[in-house]
Amino acid sequence: MNRNNLFGHLALAVALIILAAFVGQMRRMDWRAHEPKPAPRADVQQPAQPEDADDADKDEPEDADDDADDAEVLVRFKPGTPQEAIDRITAQLNDRVEDRFEQIDNAEVVIADEDGLDVNEVVAEYRNQPEVLYAEPNFKIELEPGEDEVGEGPGLKPAYAAAGEHAHPSDPMFDDQWSLDNHGTRGGKEGADISAIKAWAKTHGSRKVVVAVLDTGVDYTHRDLVNNIWTRPASVPAYEDKELGSFDDGHGFDASDMDGDPMDDNGHGTHCAGIVGAEGDNNDGIAGVNWQVEIMPLKFLNAGGSGTVKDAIECINYAIDRKKAGVNLRVISASWGSTMYSRALEDAIKRAGEEGILFVAAAGNSASDNDRRQHYPSGYQLPNVISVAALTRTDNLASFSNWGVKSVHIAAPGAEILSTWPGNQYEEHSGTSMATPEVSGVAALVLALNPDMQMKELRERLLASVDKLPALDGKVASGGRINAAKAVKAD
Amino acid sequence: MARARADLAERLGVKEGEVAEASVEDTDFPDANFGAALPDEMSAQMITPGWRIRLAAGGQTFEYRANRNRLRLFNYQGANHRVV
Repeated sequence: MNRNNLFGHLALAVALIILAAFVGQMRRMDWRAHEPKPAPRADVQQPAQPEDADDADKDEPEDADDDADDAEVLVRFKPGTPQEAIDRITAQLNDRVEDRFEQIDNAEVVIADEDGLDVNEVVAEYRNQPEVLYAEPNFKIELEPGEDEVGEGPGLKPAYAAAGEHAHPSDPMFDDQWSLDNHGTRGGKEGADISAIKAWAKTHGSRKVVVAVLDTGVDYTHRDLVNNIWTRPASVPAYEDKELGSFDDGHGFDASDMDGDPMDDNGHGTHCAGIVGAEGDNNDGIAGVNWQVEIMPLKFLNAGGSGTVKDAIECINYAIDRKKAGVNLRVISASWGSTMYSRALEDAIKRAGEEGILFVAAAGNSASDNDRRQHYPSGYQLPNVISVAALTRTDNLASFSNWGVKSVHIAAPGAEILSTWPGNQYEEHSGTSMATPEVSGVAALVLALNPDMQMKELRERLLASVDKLPALDGKVASGGRINAAKAVKAD
Repeated sequence: MARARADLAERLGVKEGEVAEASVEDTDFPDANFGAALPDEMSAQMITPGWRIRLAAGGQTFEYRANRNRLRLFNYQGANHRVV
């Protein structure tokens, strides 16, 4: 190749790159126009719209552009579904693939209907296809100018997102939930919270994410929890115990009685569950870190709040079994512990980790250094364990909280925490028990936005999403308080 | 108090009248087992209000920890048993 030919080829290459960039930008603009919007599940109850929700949106929810008259549906095909099969199905149904979620893989696509069907009819068509994992309407929301980084999350209520980051949920006790939004009242420090308000501009959680609360059970009839309690889907067979046989685990599992009724007879588990996911913005009680989520109650602690290692392992094995059966169980929240080491318990938690389940555990309330005297299960050095210390409303380590710069990973609000209590009640309690579900809840928020995120990445994300605090320097490994907004990248 | 006294008398094999009340104070315990879990027990890690009850018998002092529903003997150096 002579010099002239070389310059000629270079000029041609540059021209092609510019052309490709221009086409790519046009394509990107087209993608932005059809960007996936929050898509409430058709099979679950959505939070009620406030009275002043945009009436125009109610009447014409898809008025963004001319194409919006075509029903759009988000379809997730099962892993491994070949492109040819996706193309064949969409062609058979007289539809077209509008776009794909590149960050997941090409198995999730936006389908645009071209034969005038109602969006629910299109959803039904795709749900009937054996290759389809799920299909749901692609609802659209209007974003505030300049807020194109928010309002993309599953379960995000459009009116709330449009209200901006300072909107508050309608739950009447929300003002007392300093861990979510600390105004500095009752001697608190303004901003000493997990930045829930900012995080909620991105997502309110998702009922596709299951968090197991391994505890004293949960009052699954509590009116602020009932809509966020896990129910075994028909596609998942009833739990089968080797000794007891099959029993109906409709809402979880009770290892102390070995049955499928994990009703709380203590209160502790119900309190923890409310922190993870009391229904938000429902004009009632409090808001959880997740307004919507699925809480799986697992009971092994008795009415006195104590339980055996054996029963804890039974519950963890149950959780693993349900995960293998198809339940999207991603987090176990464990607000309990002891200074006794158990290899069997450690192995059970390790097995959970091998199934991709994060195990968030209380650091303990002995006001002592866990690096010197360990506390378990938070002290198991496993890649799926996060150990949580407790903070006060002034961003100080709670006087009762254990610490440990090597063995305690993160801190969260854990003193004077208001949450649900059996019998439709609400109570304030303190402990690393209360800090633990704050972190579990943030994990669920992250998973709502990132359903395919692996456990290792999730753990790393959480531990990197902190506000460093002087009080935690040399006390916990991350040196900070969990920040939900950072975790969901809303900050 | 009566339950604690009866329990200690049974453990020591003495009459309840030989067990004296040394002190009672309100306090917060670190967990659901009042910081007095047995070796095979896991405890809910919630601060639990209750009473620290000190009893004296045979020249020794014993510490009970209790709330309305439960009673625990703390750090007992003898044949321990569960007191719910």
